[in-house]
Amino acid sequence: MKGNKAKDAIVTIAFLIILFSVFIINIVVKDKTISASERRRLASFPKITKSEVMTGKLSEKFEKYFSDQFVGRDFFRSLKTVWNFNVFRQKDNNELFVKDNSIYKMEYKLKEKNIKKSAEKINEIYNKYLKNMKVYYSIIPDKNYYLEKDDHLKMDYEKIKDIMSQNLSNIKYIDIWDELDLNDYYRTDLHWKQEKLDDVVMCIKENMNLENTDFAKYDVKDKGEFYGAYYGQLGMKVKPDNLYILTNEELEKCVTYNFETNQIGKVYQTPRTSDKYDIYLSGAVPLLRIENPNSKSNKELILFRDSFGSSLAPLLLDSYSKITLVDIRYMSSKNLDQYIEFNGQDVLFLYSSLVLNQNILR
Amino acid sequence: MIFSSITFLFFFLPIVLAIYYIVPKKIKNFILLVASLFFYFYSEPVYVLLMIFSIISTYIFGLLIDKYKKYSKVFLIISICISVGILVYFKYTNFIIQNINLWLKNKIDFINVILPIGISFYTFQMISYNIDVYRGQAKVQKNILKLAMYISLFPQLIAGPIVRYTTIEGQLENRTHTLEKFSNGVKRFVIGLGKKVLIANVLGELASKFLSSNDVSVLFFWLYGISIMLQIYFDFSGYSDMAIGLGKMFGFEFLENFNYPYIATTITDFWRRWHISLSSWFRDYIYIPLGGNRVSKLKWIRNILLVWMLTGLWHGASWNFVIWGLYFGIILLFEKIFLNKFLEKVPNILKRVYVLVIVMLSFIIFNGEGIEQIMRNNEGLICIGEIPLISTESLYYLKSYCIALLIGIIGSTPLSKNIANSRKFNRIANFLEPVFLIIILVVSTSYIIDGSFNPFLYFRF
Repeated sequence: MKGNKAKDAIVTIAFLIILFSVFIINIVVKDKTISASERRRLASFPKITKSEVMTGKLSEKFEKYFSDQFVGRDFFRSLKTVWNFNVFRQKDNNELFVKDNSIYKMEYKLKEKNIKKSAEKINEIYNKYLKNMKVYYSIIPDKNYYLEKDDHLKMDYEKIKDIMSQNLSNIKYIDIWDELDLNDYYRTDLHWKQEKLDDVVMCIKENMNLENTDFAKYDVKDKGEFYGAYYGQLGMKVKPDNLYILTNEELEKCVTYNFETNQIGKVYQTPRTSDKYDIYLSGAVPLLRIENPNSKSNKELILFRDSFGSSLAPLLLDSYSKITLVDIRYMSSKNLDQYIEFNGQDVLFLYSSLVLNQNILR
Repeated sequence: MIFSSITFLFFFLPIVLAIYYIVPKKIKNFILLVASLFFYFYSEPVYVLLMIFSIISTYIFGLLIDKYKKYSKVFLIISICISVGILVYFKYTNFIIQNINLWLKNKIDFINVILPIGISFYTFQMISYNIDVYRGQAKVQKNILKLAMYISLFPQLIAGPIVRYTTIEGQLENRTHTLEKFSNGVKRFVIGLGKKVLIANVLGELASKFLSSNDVSVLFFWLYGISIMLQIYFDFSGYSDMAIGLGKMFGFEFLENFNYPYIATTITDFWRRWHISLSSWFRDYIYIPLGGNRVSKLKWIRNILLVWMLTGLWHGASWNFVIWGLYFGIILLFEKIFLNKFLEKVPNILKRVYVLVIVMLSFIIFNGEGIEQIMRNNEGLICIGEIPLISTESLYYLKSYCIALLIGIIGSTPLSKNIANSRKFNRIANFLEPVFLIIILVVSTSYIIDGSFNPFLYFRF
C-alpha cells in the first residue's frame, strides 16, 4: 500500500509539473516570428473577431498558433522523428528518410498525367514562340534515382523519360543522367552542388555545340555550412555539407536584372531568405536576365528552368552574352513575348523530375 | 477541442484543473459546467445554444414526468420526440432527402446544416435520463445546473462514453477526490492519449496510404483491413480511456466502455466488450421495450434487426452504416439460432479468428465510401490469383509499419496488463509505470506538435 501511495504521488506530481510548467513557460516565453529550421513564418496570436469566433475558425487558428509557438518545438519534432525511426522502426518520417548521412524524400508516385501535362506545356511554348529555333530539353533526376540497394519507394524514372520523349519528339533531348551521382547532391537538400556540375555542363555544351568549359578557371569559394530544405522538414540532426560557389572575374562582372522588381544585381548575392541556396541568382525569380559584358560570343540563351537552373546557369555564361531565365512555375507562359523577343536564341528547358511530376508549369 | 490537441493538453486542462481544485466544494460543479460549455463553445460556438436548449427541454420534461404521473407517458413521448427530432434534423435530413430524391423528378434541395459535434452522444444521455425518471429508476434532478453538468460534462461530451444519469447521479451531489483516484485518472488519460496518438493515428496513416494508392495487391488489402481495425479500436477506446481518466481527475467514476473486444470468441461476446455504453443503451431503451426475446420468433428477429439497423445509423447518416449494423444483426441472429451451438465445439483460437475476420470485414464496410469501394476492399482480401499477392508498395508499408502493427495487436489483448499484474513483474511494473507514463505523454506531445495525422473520427457520429 505504501508503495502504491508513493507511486500515486509520483504520477500525480510528475503529470501536474509537466502540465503546469509547459503552460507557464509557453505563456511567459516571447513568440517567435520565423522558424529557422523549418524555413517558414510561424503563426502569430490570432486576431479575435466575432466572425472568427462564431465560424469556429478561431479555434483552428489557436491550435496552429499554440503548436507553432510551442516552446521546444524543434526538440519535440526531433523526438518524433527519432521515435518514428528507432522505436516504430518506420522506414520514413513524413516521406523523408536518412541513408548514409543524407536525407532523401520519397517521390515515388509517378503521376503520368502530370508528366504529360508538363510535356504539353513545353510543346505549347515551343509551338507559340520557338519554332525554327535551336531548342533542347533535359531532365534532372531527383537524387533517389542514384540510391542503390535501397527498398524505399521510387518513381519509375524510365517512364518519365519515355513520356517526355513521346510528347517532345521535335525537341532535342540532352541526357545528363549518367553525368551525376549521389555525391553531386547536397546531403540535406534536394538540389545539386554547383561545384560538382562539371560533367553536366560538359554534356550540355557538347549537345548544344558550345565550346567546352575548363572548370579550373573558376575559384571555389566556401560559403559555410548549408542546412537544406530536407533538414528542417525532417527535424533531425544530420551532418550538413558546405555550400560552395564557382566564380571568377568574368562572373563577378555579370549583371542580373529582375523583371519583377526591376532590380539590378549580381550572379551571387547574399540570400535574403534563410535558404542559403538562394545565393545562386537570388533564388526563386519568375523572370531574370543575366548579361555578360565580357562575353566573347554574341549568342543568347533562354533557359526555362526550376531552382536547379539557378546554380547551373552561371556555368553557361562563358558561352553566352545574355541568358534569360524563365520560371513558369511563378509566371504564366501565355504572354512571354511581352518580355522576351524570340529571335534565334538557343533555348533549353531544364526541369527536375520533381517539378515535372507536379503539373505546376503555367 | 479534441483531447489530443495542444490547446486542450497544455492550456485548457491545467487552467480547469487549477481552478477546480482551488475553489470551494460548493462551486466545483459550477466551474465544471462553465468549463464544459466553454469546451463545446470553442468548437461549436453556435451549436452550444442548441445544446443549452436541449438541456432546458430535458430538464423541464424531467420535472413534468416526475410531477404529473398521470401524463408522464405523454411528456416522455414529447421529450423523446424533441430530442430525436433535433438529432434527425441535424444528422439525417440530408440523408433522407438524398434517398427521396432517387424517386423524384423534381428534386428536393438539401438543407445547409453542419452536424453538431457530439450530438448523438448527448442526445442519448438526455433520452436515457428522461426514460429513467419515467421508469422511477432515477430521481428527478431539480437543480438545472447539475443536470446541465451531467449532459455537457466535457470529458465525455464529444466522443462518449454514453454515461447514464444513474451512474453519476450520486456523484453529482457528492464525490470524493483522492490522490489514488487522481493518479489512476492520470494513468488512464495518458494511456488513452498514447493509444490515440501513437497507435491509432499511426495506423490510420497506413490506412490512408492504402486509400490514396492505386497499388493493388492482396497484402495491401489485408494491411488496410488490419490497420483500420486497430485504428478504430485504439482511437475509440483511447478516447474512452481519456474520458474515464479525466472523469477520475474530477472525482467521477464512469463505467468501462471497452473490454478487449478483439479477444472475443463470438460476435455476441464482441458486442459485450465493444462500445459497451452504446450497446447497453440500445438494449435497455430499444430492444427490451420492444419485447426483447420474450416475443414470437418473428418479432424477435424484427427486434434484433431494427436495433442493429439503428445502431448502424447512429454511427452516421449513410447506407454503409446501415449495412454495417444489419450485418452484425444478421450474424448475431445466426449465432443465437444455430452458430453458437456449433462454435461451442470449436477451439478458442478458431473462434477468435472467426470474430476477427467478421469484425475486420465489418470495419471495411464501416470505413467505406460507397458500395463499390466496400466490395472492392472486401474482395481484395481473397483475390488470390487474380491480383498480385505482394507488391513493392505493400511490402514497403508492411516493413515500415510492422512494429506499430505488432504493438497494436499485442496492445489489443490483455497480455501486457496480465504481465504487469503478475506477482513476478508487479514490483518492476510499479517502479516503471511513472517513467512509462511520462514517456508516453512527452512522445504523444511530440507527435501532436509535428502536426502528424490526427483525425477526429466521430464527426459523423
